[in-house]
Amino acid sequence: MTRAVALVLIVGLLGAAGPAAAQGPIVAQFWYSFGGTNREVTEAHIKRFNESQSKYRIEGTFQGDYFEALAKIRAAAATKTAPAAFHVIGEAVPQLAASGLFENLEPYAKGPNGVNLEDYLPGQTQNTYFDYLGKPPAPLMVLPFFRSTPILYYNADMLAAKGVKVPTTWDELRDAAGKLTVREGSETKVYGFEVPVDWWFWFALLHEAGGSLVTPDGKRAAFREKGTEALQFWVDLVNKDKTMKRPPGKDYNAWTVTNTDFINGKTAMIFTSTAFLNYMTENAKFKLGTAFLPGKVKQAVPTGGTFFVIARDAPTPQKEAGWAFIKWMTEPAQTISLSKATGYMPIRTSAVDSPEMQAFYKQNPNYKTAIDQLRTAQRFPYTPALIEIQREVIQPNLEAAVLGIKSAAEVMQAAEAKANEFLAKQP
Amino acid sequence: MLLFALVYLYPVAYSAWVSFYEWDLAMPARWVGVANYRALASPEFLEVVTNTVTYSVGVVLLSQTAGLALAVLLNDRTRMGALFRASIFSSYVVSWVAVSLLWIWLLDPQYGLVAHLFRLVGLPALNWLGDHRLALWSLVLVTVWKTVGYPMVIYLAGLQAIPGDLYEAAALDGAGGWQRFRHVTWPLLTPTTLFLLITLTITSFQGFDIVKIMTQGGPVTSTVIYVYYIYEQAFQYFKLGRASAAVVLFFTVIVALTFAQWLVFRRRVHYST
Repeated sequence: MTRAVALVLIVGLLGAAGPAAAQGPIVAQFWYSFGGTNREVTEAHIKRFNESQSKYRIEGTFQGDYFEALAKIRAAAATKTAPAAFHVIGEAVPQLAASGLFENLEPYAKGPNGVNLEDYLPGQTQNTYFDYLGKPPAPLMVLPFFRSTPILYYNADMLAAKGVKVPTTWDELRDAAGKLTVREGSETKVYGFEVPVDWWFWFALLHEAGGSLVTPDGKRAAFREKGTEALQFWVDLVNKDKTMKRPPGKDYNAWTVTNTDFINGKTAMIFTSTAFLNYMTENAKFKLGTAFLPGKVKQAVPTGGTFFVIARDAPTPQKEAGWAFIKWMTEPAQTISLSKATGYMPIRTSAVDSPEMQAFYKQNPNYKTAIDQLRTAQRFPYTPALIEIQREVIQPNLEAAVLGIKSAAEVMQAAEAKANEFLAKQP
Repeated sequence: MLLFALVYLYPVAYSAWVSFYEWDLAMPARWVGVANYRALASPEFLEVVTNTVTYSVGVVLLSQTAGLALAVLLNDRTRMGALFRASIFSSYVVSWVAVSLLWIWLLDPQYGLVAHLFRLVGLPALNWLGDHRLALWSLVLVTVWKTVGYPMVIYLAGLQAIPGDLYEAAALDGAGGWQRFRHVTWPLLTPTTLFLLITLTITSFQGFDIVKIMTQGGPVTSTVIYVYYIYEQAFQYFKLGRASAAVVLFFTVIVALTFAQWLVFRRRVHYST
């Protein structure tokens, strides 16, 4: 008798739970890699998305910096527990795409809840970020999230006090750094210039010197000569002129030191991402100026930041939720509020042209620098070797030249050989 | 026993298995036989081993010597003694992350207190963490600062176990301070010394936090020590096979080291009767 009652109760509860579960919002995970201000902004927008509709609920989790998050994504993918939506740096896309991690977004983009890919700024969409090296374009897998370019930040008060003009070429930068450095005995109280000795800025210098990363067909490395010139520029500034500080620490640790030094008035000019513009504006106790990166043969910048992606192995309802979220995030209204709160660029042309942003730029001209600089943006070669070239060939080896352990030419020669190894492995 | 097998034996066995493959977590694993082990016979890996041995020797010798000296100096019943002992030991219990972050700023050539003090006495500020010749020794010094409380406390216990009448007898025979130390204290401390030698060596071989926070293996590769090398290979370069081969080698070495030290010191230990 009691067993029958128990059975009825269980079936009844299961029956009740079934339809009830189907009525709640579909929950999906979104992994992101922002700390500080940008983290708060991201979380605020996740909350706004959840409040704007009741079909989906996104839960955001902070996963450390881009590279730590990449390790976690791979580990999660290996156990088929990848989050429905996350974001990755552009350089990682070809390799991760080749390992089948990403959902093909073409059906979503063209479907009923689709996006108009024409309305995005140059360099922001997959097809304008990558150079497909003469091969057919890869299917759509990414949507732009927070996108940036490196810009020159300068302490306008220091420049005005010394009568220094904002540099627009490498020679002018070298000159300005010399004039702005303040020394007292053996101590350098203020450095004229500081920049993380990092792939992203080296890429800019490489192209400014007129070079490129790979040959047009992507089969061989092409950066040795101009890459050496780029690296040598830093070597001279740090060791000969002694007007540039090399910030210590690997990867983003050095970026943090650069920002902190600039805010504390220990350096007059820095290169870093427009992504920190809001942080700088709020914390600088001096007049903040921004400008294009100085050029040599020409002006050139990489774009940076990340792209939204959806994990192919996530369950379908979660993928739907992920798509709804990333589509919403790239809508003009959202890209405007995201950009104003951080310094990252609004990615939609309609957003940039909107009266709201135009008025904002009139009041805050620093925010316009990255957008205007987009006309000098360089493309990245679409090859799985790209992330290997960044992380194993270039990034760990730039330091050795700046520290005087190896010459810039030695470093680039070894780098070219290694890059060719990686490129040769590609089909 | 099952728990032991699960938590200790399984990971080691799994690492040994992965070490014969090439795997980056995203693509399926590829069998490569002993290629990962052969890849360890490279100048890059040799540098890692050298760094680790240097770091370990530095930390063990310095912290053990300093620990002994402090124990001898502070082996009293005064309040000041207790205060000093507590302060010195307090750094041992604080987290590695906190200590590393603190010392990054203390050692900064522009902002740091150490640089400031050097300049006050007319010495040029050294780039402790940014100079590839100095960085590893800077890590050794920070490690000794943090961990010297441990050998100090262990030696204190060892000192207090020495019967006072041995000192009296030695003093009556005309032995001075240094002779009393050399002929009474030091021999009777050999079990303590042996214990600390093994423990400190094994602990220093496992150093990781300090590198991850302070230098990330830099400048260039001058502070990549063994466990940090494993982490880099696995989670930055996604070479899990090579990382696993390094793990297996490490395990073998630690076990061999423990056994070797035990053999060597077995005969030198004096136990008071």
